[in-house]
Order: sequence, then C-alpha cells, then structure tokens
Amino acid sequence: MPFLFQSILNGVLAGCIYALFAMGLTLIYGVLNFVNFAHGELIMWGAYFLYLVMEKPISLPLPFALAFSLFLTALLGTGMDRFVFRPLRHANPLTLLIAALGLSFLLRNGAQFFWGAEIRTYGFEIKRGFRFLEISITLNQIMIIFVTVVCISFVYLLFHRSRLGKSMRAVSDNLELARVVGIDSKRAIRFAWVIASILAGVGGILLALDTNLQPGMGLINLVKAFAATLLGGPGNLWGALWGGILIGLAENLGVLVISPGYKDAIAFGIMVFMLLIRPSVLFRRQE
Amino acid sequence: MDLFLHLCIMIAIYIIFALSLNLEVGYTGLFNFGHVAFFGIGAYTSALLTLHRVPFELSLLLALAMACLWGFLLSLPSLRLRGDYFGIATLGFGEIIRMVFQNEVWLTKGPMGLPGIPKPTLFSYRFATLHLYLSLVLAFTILTFLILRVILRSPFGRVLKAIREDEIAAATLGKNVLRFRIKSFVIGSLFAGLAGALWAHYTTFISPGDFTLLETILVLLIVVLGGKGTEWGPVLGAIVLIFFQESLRFLRLPAEWTRHLAPLQQMIFGGLLILLMIFRPEGLIREKGKILNAGDKGDQ
Amino acid sequence: MKKNLYRLSILMGVLFLITPLAAAQETIKIGAAFALSGSIAVYGEGFKKAVDLAVEEINAAGGLRGKKIEIIYEDNKSTPKDCVTAVRKLIAVDKVPIIFGPAGSSNFMAVAPVAQESKVVMISAQGAAPGLTKAGEYIFRVFPSDVLQGKGISDLCISLGYMEVPVMYVNNDWGLGLKNVFVENFKKAGGKVTDEIPYDDGKTDYRTELIRATKGSPKATVNLTYITSGSVMFKQAYEMGIKTQWICGSAAKAPKLVELAGKAVEGIIGTYPVFSQETKEYKTFRASWKKKYGDEKVPIFGEYNYDMVFITAKAIEKGGYTSDGIRRALFEVGKGYRGVTGDKTFDQDRGVGSEYGVWTVRDGQIVDYKK
Repeated sequence: MPFLFQSILNGVLAGCIYALFAMGLTLIYGVLNFVNFAHGELIMWGAYFLYLVMEKPISLPLPFALAFSLFLTALLGTGMDRFVFRPLRHANPLTLLIAALGLSFLLRNGAQFFWGAEIRTYGFEIKRGFRFLEISITLNQIMIIFVTVVCISFVYLLFHRSRLGKSMRAVSDNLELARVVGIDSKRAIRFAWVIASILAGVGGILLALDTNLQPGMGLINLVKAFAATLLGGPGNLWGALWGGILIGLAENLGVLVISPGYKDAIAFGIMVFMLLIRPSVLFRRQE
Repeated sequence: MDLFLHLCIMIAIYIIFALSLNLEVGYTGLFNFGHVAFFGIGAYTSALLTLHRVPFELSLLLALAMACLWGFLLSLPSLRLRGDYFGIATLGFGEIIRMVFQNEVWLTKGPMGLPGIPKPTLFSYRFATLHLYLSLVLAFTILTFLILRVILRSPFGRVLKAIREDEIAAATLGKNVLRFRIKSFVIGSLFAGLAGALWAHYTTFISPGDFTLLETILVLLIVVLGGKGTEWGPVLGAIVLIFFQESLRFLRLPAEWTRHLAPLQQMIFGGLLILLMIFRPEGLIREKGKILNAGDKGDQ
Repeated sequence: MKKNLYRLSILMGVLFLITPLAAAQETIKIGAAFALSGSIAVYGEGFKKAVDLAVEEINAAGGLRGKKIEIIYEDNKSTPKDCVTAVRKLIAVDKVPIIFGPAGSSNFMAVAPVAQESKVVMISAQGAAPGLTKAGEYIFRVFPSDVLQGKGISDLCISLGYMEVPVMYVNNDWGLGLKNVFVENFKKAGGKVTDEIPYDDGKTDYRTELIRATKGSPKATVNLTYITSGSVMFKQAYEMGIKTQWICGSAAKAPKLVELAGKAVEGIIGTYPVFSQETKEYKTFRASWKKKYGDEKVPIFGEYNYDMVFITAKAIEKGGYTSDGIRRALFEVGKGYRGVTGDKTFDQDRGVGSEYGVWTVRDGQIVDYKK
C-alpha cells in the first residue's frame, strides 16, 4: 500500500517536470501558434548554463549563478526567435517545424561540441529523503513542487492581470489585428519568449538536479511535454500543468502493473484516449 | 564503388519511403509522424517470414498486406483528430509500435534483432550482389513512382489536394472526406511497408533501434526539402539529402579538432536546415498551381 | 535554381575529392567506426581517447615497419544504419584491411556481415553479446562473451546466499542477453527470480521501476545497468531510502558512475571480466594514460580498446598489411599475449575467454570484493 502512495508522489513529481516543460511550450504555442521542437534544447541549455557559471573560471555563488543562467537562457530564447522564428513568422507549420528541428540539431550538437557527450552533475551532495508516513521525499523534490506552483501562479497572474499579459493574449488571438489596434506585438512576443525561456531554464535545472546533465536531456522528455501541451490545449497554462501531472501519474502508476518496457506507451495511450473523447479536438478544421 | 552502390540503394529505398509519405503529407495534408511504423512492419514481416523459409515473393506480399492492414487500423482512430492532434496521435502510435518490436521478444527477438535475413530470390533468381540488389530496388522504385503518379494524376489525386486545401468545400461537393483520407493513408502505408521490406533484405540485420522517430523526421525532411506535393520532389530530395549528409563525412579538419568533428557536422546540418527554411522553404521543386493561403510565404 | 544546383554539385565534387588528396601520405591506415555523435557518443569519445593513446605510443616507438599508424575515424551517429554507411565508406573509399568496430551489439551485428562479405577484419573491444562473431572468420572480439558473465552473476548471488532476487535490466541487446543467461543459470542452481523489470537507458525517472523491483524488500536486487541509467537509478533509490544489496554487471564498473552517484553506490557489488590491476602491463598503461590525459578517468572499455590497438599492430607486423594476413596473424600473436586486460588468446569462435571477478565500491573507490 505505501508503494501506491509513493508512486502517486513520484507521479506528481515527474508530472511537475513535464508540466514546467509544457508550460513554456504551450506559451509559445499560444502566442505564436506553433510547437517549438527546439524547446528541449532550451531546457538543456538552461541546465548547462547553470553548470557553466558555477564552474571555474566564473564560479558564481548559487543565487547569482541561478539568476545569471536564467538570464542567459532568456537571451538564447529571444535569440532563437529573432534569428530563426521571426523570419518565418508567416510560414506554414511544416516549415516552422523543420526550422525548429534544424535548430534542435544545431543546439544539441552545439552542447556536445562544447562539453562533450560525457554526463555531468552539479556536484551537490546526494541526501536521503525525509520519511513521512512511509513515503520518502527529498528536498529536491519538495523544491520541484514548490517551484512549479510558484511558476504557474506567477505566469498565470502575469498573463491575466498585467497589461503585457493582455497584449500577449491579443497577439495570440490575432496577430494582425493586435498590431492594427496598436499593441506592441514585438514586445509582447519577446516577453513571451523570455517567460517561456525562464520556465524552460528552471525546468532544466530542476531536471539536472534530479538526474544529471547530458546533451540529450531535453529531447528525451520533449515528446511528453508535447503531449501535455496538446492535452491542455494551446496557450492553456493550467491545461499544461494538469496534462503534465496526468501523464506523470499515469506513467508511474501504470509501471506498477505493466511491463516498464511500455512506460512511454502509457503517456501516448492516455493522450490519444483523452483526445478521442474530447469533442473540441475532433475533426473540425480551422483555418 | 561499393560505397556508391550502397548509397544508391539507400537512396532508392528512401525514395520509395518518401514518395509514400509525400502522398500523405504533401497531397493529402496529413502530418503522419508515425510513418516509420509501417516501414518497420514491412521490414519485420518480410524478415520474419523469410527467416522461416517462406519464399520471398510471398513474404513480400504479406509484408505489404500487413502494412496496409495496420495502416487501416491506425487510421480509424487517428483520422478523427484534426491537424496537430493527428500528428501527435500518429507519433504516439509510431512509438508504440516500436515498443512492441522491442518488447515482444518472442516475436521479434526484441533488442537482439533479427540477423541473417536472406537475400531475396525472385522467381529462383537470387539477388545476392550489390549490383543485382540495386537493380531490384530500382525496379521497385520505378514501379512505385509510376503507380503513385497514376494515382495522383487521377481524379482521386485531385480530390486529395482539394481536401488538403479546403476540406469544407470538398465536403460540400459531396466527397466523403474521411474515406479519401483513409485510402490515402492506407496506400501510403503500403509503400512504406515495401520500402521497409526492401531495406530489411538489404541490411540483413534489423533491430527496433532502426525504426525510431528520427527516421520519420529524416524522411519528412526529404519530402519537404525536395518539395512536397510534387511528383519529383521526393526523388530529388532523397538524392540531395543523403548525398549531402554523407558528403559531410568527407569534411576533414585538422587532427586536434577530431573530437569536435562529429557534432560539428551535425551542427552544420542543423544550421543549413534553418537557412533552407528561411530562404527556400518550398524545397527544390515548387508545387505547380498551388492555391495560395495567407500563411504561405513560399509562394510569393 | 539551375545555378544553385551547379554550385551544389561543384561543392560536393570538391568535398569528395579532398579526402583522397589529403590521404596521399604514407601511413598505415586502420579504420574505426565509432559513435562520435548521437545517443551513445559518450562511449565512442572514450574509445577514441584510448585508441589515440595507444597509437601515439606505437608511433613514438617508431611505428609499424617504419610507418606511422593513422586511424581513420568515421562517425556512426549511434545508429545501426549509419554504422553500415560508415563501415562501407571505410572499406570502399579508405580501403582499410581492418576496422575497429562500434559499440553496441546491435550496431556491431549490423555491420559484421558487411565486413565479412568484403573480407575486411573487424574487431570489437566491448561487444558482449554471445553471437557477436558469428558472421564469419573475419570478425573478432577482444572482450569476453556474456555467456560467462551471466553464470558469474548467478554464482555470485548463490555464494552470497541470495536465492530469491528480482532482476532489473536495460532493455537492449546487452541487458536482455545477459539477463537471459543469468536467469537460466540461476534457475538451474535453484534460485528464484521474483520479477523481471526491463527499462530504457537514458531516462530521467526510474523511481517507480525501483519501487516495483524492491516490493517485498528483497535482500538483493540484480540490476544490469549502464552508467547513464545507473547513476540516476542508484541516486533515486538512495533518496527513497531503498535498502537492498545491488548486484550489477560489468557495464556499471566505471569510476564515472561513482563520480556521478557518490555515496548512493557505496557497497554495490558486481562481476567483471577480471584483469588484475597489479600487473606490469596495467601499471604501464595507467602511467601512460596519466601522462596524456592527466586526472581524467579511464573510460569504460578503454583498456580493451587499448589492447585492441596493440594486438592489431602486432598482427600487422607479423602478417602484413592485408586482411587475410592480419586475420591469420591475430591467432598467432594472440596466443598467450598478455595485454592490459589479461590473456588475449583467441578461441575458435575468435573471442577471448576470461575469469570473472567481483568488484565493489568502497569509500568511493572501485576495488575487488573480498567477503
């Protein structure tokens, strides 16, 4: 029985990580209407940036290191938009997909170019978790949940209570109209990328803390992040959160009974099933 | 010379694979991200049957039949979903099928793979050497190209394009959109299965790792780079992409840099993709008479 | 459009021509199809370091028959398909008589028939799958088959009194193959396997697999894991407070694992094809490594790759720079050859044998296990 609760907790934790990834993804999806296949690399670079600024010769202390690395990630994200996605603002989805793919190759191998394919860690000490009613949870894990909640609250407030948030939503609804009405779409878009990059960076750092650093780390979880994004619907942050958690839970509970070789299949199975029963998602082409 | 023959065989097989995806993505507008699953089904079916002494002619036919069958079965739930959702549902199915290849060890020997797949014998003629195999594959490639060309030039093909551009209009004209989509999907799956079977008999060893998402991405790239929705697009795309990827191997750097060479090659590849999409997204061959959408920069 | 095509073809033509021109010097070329990019690039990078070290030593000592050895590396991008292209290129374009094969049994098995057909010698320094050299008489390995290791793990469990264990394993050719041999031997010896849990390497969350495996708190759990998955798994197991005696295979015996997982791997036990670290050959190797690479850890299978280069060099000296010559010479030079990794006598299946020892992690170091 305690195994069940532990699995549920593990599921929620895995789900939080997926959710953080999905939130950044869905933000861009919502504002710019495409799924950024290179998002995994943004996550990965976010984690590596922290590694970079913590190691010699830069060796920043932790709080500064965090801030600086997130800053660098935001720079990368806005850079991606400025140089790759902005020229393709009006291109068709397949073109965007392939450009994002190219970016993904570029960034992933770029990381390998600089750091090699060796696995690395931040070097923090491994500690046993706290035992609480037969369930174990570590400090890292508590932090993951805490950070996820903070992030989503913050982004939600930003989106729905601030002027910048309003302009982002306007842009996502209809870019041309937003421009016509005088909304500074460029600023709104840039802001969206900053937020998405920070979410990605935070997700990446947490993931690296929980596991380790390797150039492929973003790619592995990307597909699940996609699934969570689509499950929640474009631009729907809560949807991304619940989608992520649902997938995390389903995977962890499922593996208790079926062969773990099919673990990934669970995420897909759930997703397809949910999609098939939701009428809004079924065949009605929108142009 | 052997390397050249090898590349030609790979290109010919990928042409068939790309033509099949082109039918789905280029003509019918279906973003099938699980396409490699049918490649794999064709490969495994033909391999398993020939390993059990079933004659090649029959194995091949059964491989095609299996690919068709699964194409049909998967199309039923997937085609009820629109656009992006269809994409990820097919991606999901593709991955699930790969996991089946990997986990059902009793059937596919799982990750151990199937070694020793026999070379094909067609009407008691054994295609054992590279030259012979190339001629066999080329024959199939030409056959595929011609068959698909006939299909695409027929009224059926035109309806597919109409559906891609404006589904509602097509439906109003009395076309059963779903039926057409299913047919397109099934035909695409059949030829993907053909490509898979030919490939299995060429490499003589297949394992689940050959049928990953990366393969679908590669063939998608071929279709887009060559020019989707055109007849010769996939052909040109396969030739250019594979030659290009392999010619990057010949990019020599000074010895101290060799640790960095491989990722650098991949980085160049990624960078070029981006540039290509920005400057020439419609690919090498432009689609004729394409109905302009507001969202298509490529046709300006 | 036409102009671009012209430009493109000229560029490609130039690129294709550069290689033969650059290779005009007189060197002894050996091919290597390693994973230098992609999912298992970490192995390929490691092997390259070991191979480079060996080549440097041989060249510094005068080379082979007066000529220097040059390794032509081709990236196999970690996929079987690209392995085939890499090998074909080495055979057809570089015309090497011998190739150092790729990591990963399915990668290696995909190219073995190609090498065999073209009558080119191919050696594996890390392939443990039992049927690896079946493709033909040109295929060799300097790493022992897992048929022996599976029995070794089973014997270890029994000798320590663990009669009921769950088995976790990486769901690929290595893990599955080793698991099968282990289970077979274990059952024959009267042991009971309580659960079999496959998992994918390179994932980020194994917590539930761990919970499932250690349901019922087994005294020992067999975990046939790699460094990547192992580092994450042991860390997560430690955090969750799972207490069981971990028993591993040779793929986890790496200083890198200890570096990544720290105290989480303290006390784990595993088997490995044993080679003493006390021999002269080993000590020379370590000194040499330190001189070139400083404090960098020796990558997994590094010693085997190092031996592979040396034994190849000897075979070329003896048999000449042709694949048939090398092939025959390998048997002769292998007999009684003591490399860093022990005796490299080739048996009739062109593999090598080995004793299996037991290792453990004590105080952050990998040492031999003594009960």
